Amino acid sequence: HRRLELFPEYSVTQMLFTDVKNAAALRKSAMEGQINGALINPAMLVDPFQALVAANKAVHLQKAGKMKTRSLLSEIIFNLSPTNNISEAFRRFGMSDGDGAVHVVTVHPREDMSDVDTILARVEGRQVPVGEISTFTDVPGIKKLYKVTPSEEKCGSLLEAVVCRMAVKDVV
Amino acid sequence: MASDRSDSAAPLLAGCALWKQGAEARIYRGKFLGRAAVVKHRFPKRYRHPQLDEKLTRRRTVQEARAALRCRKAGISVPVVYFVDYTTHCIFMEDLVGSITVRDHIVTTQQSGDNPESLGGLADEMGRILAKMHDEDVIHGDLTTSNMLLRNGSEGPGADLVLIDFGLSYTSALPEDKGVDMYVLEKAFLSTHPNTESLFQQLLNSYTAASKKAPAVIKKLDEVRLRGRKRSMVG
Repeated sequence: HRRLELFPEYSVTQMLFTDVKNAAALRKSAMEGQINGALINPAMLVDPFQALVAANKAVHLQKAGKMKTRSLLSEIIFNLSPTNNISEAFRRFGMSDGDGAVHVVTVHPREDMSDVDTILARVEGRQVPVGEISTFTDVPGIKKLYKVTPSEEKCGSLLEAVVCRMAVKDVV
Repeated sequence: MASDRSDSAAPLLAGCALWKQGAEARIYRGKFLGRAAVVKHRFPKRYRHPQLDEKLTRRRTVQEARAALRCRKAGISVPVVYFVDYTTHCIFMEDLVGSITVRDHIVTTQQSGDNPESLGGLADEMGRILAKMHDEDVIHGDLTTSNMLLRNGSEGPGADLVLIDFGLSYTSALPEDKGVDMYVLEKAFLSTHPNTESLFQQLLNSYTAASKKAPAVIKKLDEVRLRGRKRSMVG
């Protein structure tokens, strides 16, 4: 759980689940607005910080009325992508019906954990600590998708390469 | 009259402490999602026409963000950009805690009367990094020793140089532009650090050794030196 410094009335909570049995049903619930959580494919995440950055930007854009997608949750998923193609972002970063693992990011009012409880109740799977995300990370896949160069890896971590692209993609 | 736009950045900057104020921007230090961060806020300039100010400020912010990514892709160390607010023109980036500017390092080294040859390694590294940058066709636009940082603890051999302040940067393959970039650095270097002509020459030698395109750039640099101070298009 982390409070967004820039938007102190909100908190971002992340949860990671494996052995998920009801992926398709979860996706349907999310799309129907019954769960307040962005369902992300954990293979595309390097570190929880990456999801935090995406959520921070989404909240910022929502407040400014400048989101590119239609909801805060879809904006979080879109922000993860290094490109400005929305459907591609959903396809690659969003959870698929056949997935066995999911990373859920939810933005909620600071003290109000009801959305988190709803998610915990609905996911049929085993929750693992968010810090273990690296066991799911598809490093070669991420390097390829974000087009990380070998020289870039010398001057920073993969997480830094990813976060930088997320911050700059609107103007590049 | 336009409302005071520098106030619109206030909520964003609430948790941060003002660190430096320049003519162009204010630099704050704070936390971004738990990480030590620097916020560069290009505040509105009321002496400018508002529409022009908005355009210029936005352009500088955008150029800085773009250059950061292009440099990283080429393996040049620049601070990681975490988040850019294009409405208030704030850039949230990595805070290189404990770093010092190359300017301060040179000044300290000269003042303490230490072996000036230790600066040779630094000159070599500067030449190498600038060669890499120009090979990427990135023109910094404002090269000075204050715009180069040494990561904490790396003052000795194996200096870990980080370039900053890319607001005036642009893309160009022309040796003329690269030559001017180096000329700006030479002027800043020699005026800030007395008796460093040979050190700067060492930097140029390292630059030449590191880039195949260097001879053309050095040639232009010589031409520019003979002409006198060349003005670029942005005032």
